[in-house]
Amino acid sequence: MTSITLNNVEKSFGKVTVLHDIDLMIEDGEFCVFLGPSGCGKSTLLRMIAGIETVTSGDLRIGGERMNDVLPSERRVAMVFQNYALYPHMSVYENMAFGLKQAKTPKDEIAKRVQIAAKTLQIEPLLERRPKELSGGQRQRVAIGRAIVRQPAVFLFDEPLSNLDAALRVHMRTEIANLHRDFPHASMIYVTHDQTEAMALADKIVLLRSGEDVLTKGSIAQSGSPLELYHRPKNRFVAGFLGSPSMNFLPVTLVNANTEGATVRLASGEIIDVPVDARTLSAGAPLTLGVRPEHMVPAPPGTDTQVIRKVVHSIENFGEHSYLYLSDTPDEPCIAKVADDVLETAEGPVAFRVRPSACHLFDANGDALPYLADATSRTFA
Amino acid sequence: MAHRSFKLSRLSIPVLGLFWLAVTTLPFLFVVFTSMKTLQETYTNPVWALPESFSLDNYIRVIEGSYLTYLRNSAFVITISVILIVIVSSMAAYALARLKFRFNTALFGLIVAGMIVPLHVTLVPVYLMTRAMGLYDTLFALIGPYVATSLPVSIFILTEFMRQVPRELEEAALLDGCGPFKIFAKIFFPLSTPGISTVAIYNGIMLWNEFVFAYVLTSSPETRTLPLAVWEFQGQYAADIPTILAVVTLSTLPLIIVYAIGQERIVNGMMAGSLKG
Ligand SMILES: Nc1ncnc2c1ncn2[C@@H]1O[C@H](COP(=O)(O)OP(=O)(O)OP(=O)(O)O)[C@@H](O)[C@H]1O
Ligand SMILES: [Mg+2]
Repeated sequence: MTSITLNNVEKSFGKVTVLHDIDLMIEDGEFCVFLGPSGCGKSTLLRMIAGIETVTSGDLRIGGERMNDVLPSERRVAMVFQNYALYPHMSVYENMAFGLKQAKTPKDEIAKRVQIAAKTLQIEPLLERRPKELSGGQRQRVAIGRAIVRQPAVFLFDEPLSNLDAALRVHMRTEIANLHRDFPHASMIYVTHDQTEAMALADKIVLLRSGEDVLTKGSIAQSGSPLELYHRPKNRFVAGFLGSPSMNFLPVTLVNANTEGATVRLASGEIIDVPVDARTLSAGAPLTLGVRPEHMVPAPPGTDTQVIRKVVHSIENFGEHSYLYLSDTPDEPCIAKVADDVLETAEGPVAFRVRPSACHLFDANGDALPYLADATSRTFA
Repeated sequence: MAHRSFKLSRLSIPVLGLFWLAVTTLPFLFVVFTSMKTLQETYTNPVWALPESFSLDNYIRVIEGSYLTYLRNSAFVITISVILIVIVSSMAAYALARLKFRFNTALFGLIVAGMIVPLHVTLVPVYLMTRAMGLYDTLFALIGPYVATSLPVSIFILTEFMRQVPRELEEAALLDGCGPFKIFAKIFFPLSTPGISTVAIYNGIMLWNEFVFAYVLTSSPETRTLPLAVWEFQGQYAADIPTILAVVTLSTLPLIIVYAIGQERIVNGMMAGSLKG
């Protein structure tokens, strides 16, 4: 039993509420990623689960057992810190054995577990070294080894890769994925603000928001599978946070709504169909249309339906894809990401076709209107 | 410009170093050489002349006298004091650096303020207290004041040291099953060894030379420490300058040995404190 449940959890430092109204269920063996902008409380939430930080109110359960007041060492959790937090005055072996020693594990059992972990992580030759004699990647492995030997129910990672260079980061990311495969029964919670890491690793992403909305809407902006968050964002914050470049947001008004979907009109007059349920709203209601840059496809000449016309202001070619900048106001960027090299474009507005299923509609409150088609049955044709 | 001053310093540093070496070692060499002369020689030969024969007779006489008692007393008092200072100041420093309790900062301020209390102001009260406790003229009379007067600066140094220990280490230890006391013993104490050696050696040297408390709180030769030996021998050997200088040499020798072994640590410890603090 390694599931983690948070019920109505709240955290404040003095008068400042950092986390509000957190309801969350992490299943046995699930790989859960806490994602969000800097300062939103990802680390704080993780440290509350670890027991390093107190829970201001609400229930925290691990394996069904209430853990709010249980000592960190008795929660069956192990944590890997961003800066590794290896004990500098101990050898790699002693670092890994320290927790087991405190728990009065027999010596030969300690030796066995450290050997196995060292072998898995390929750090056997380093066991006698001090942390300062290791490279960043090796330290990271030792930190992970220290977590493994404790055979925890839950692994907690706080931005474990952010101190590594880009190439090593990708490599260690695979190793962490392998770790999850090797310990299928342990749950993992992984904090990052890197959405690529989150998309690559997660079974479930918990996207936290920051700012004033925390108190009115709760800290969790959305939780679900990576693709669910990507294709079916529940609100503008989630839609804008995931994806790079960010989703384009265009002001529209509702023309009509029925069981098939909604039809909206852009300020420049184009008509777009979106398969969402807008029947509660009356025609003329102001809405926001969301379209990801990669879903803005240059339309063949003569296409008239489902197009957005924009003037191309500048172009960036990266070889594998190109960005077309379609807005002259930096505050409301609008970008099209196209697969081909773009060397020159027409003078006037260019037409971009958008598939109805790639469009999102948000009401004045920032909430997404409910999608009519199911996310999983969606065709990506 | 930078180039020139660099050249200048490259030249001037060794010159200044040699000069300073001369200033500090000449008096000491003078003491050592004179201590090997006979009393006769000091009257007849020039003051700066080398001894006619490097004789250790004066030393033998001193050692056969009560010198060893003084040495033993000093060693005893200073060992116990330094151990107590290290234990108390490191624990206090950990608490002040990391534990959250009311008046933490105020308490730290108060302790640091203790550094500016002139020692001699406390002399009479300490004397009266020692008498009242029945410790007067025992070796234990010195330990209390020695520990107490050394604590402010020791706690100050070690608190700065322990503030630099990353918080994550403490949290990792917490997850590994340590309580506050084990976190202190297994993480903070070992990680502060440079600071702790500084505190131990620095206080050891200060106390080794301490005269005033020793003079006021003890009276019989059986309970007196080395700094008083010179004083006592002066009475005993009247104007026998070579013998007195033999006592001086013998008292300084342990310090020189300790310093030679520990100087790297002292310097490192002080640098670490000052650079990061
Ligand atoms: N001990 C503390 N006392 C007061 N405020 C704190 C404390 N720890 C964290 N905070 C505040 O809580 C908020 C969340 O901090 P936290 O470190 O959890 O953010 P984070 O999401 O991990 O950010 P980052 O991505 O930068 O690591 C921040 O606004 C921070 O200032
Ligand atoms: Mg953080």
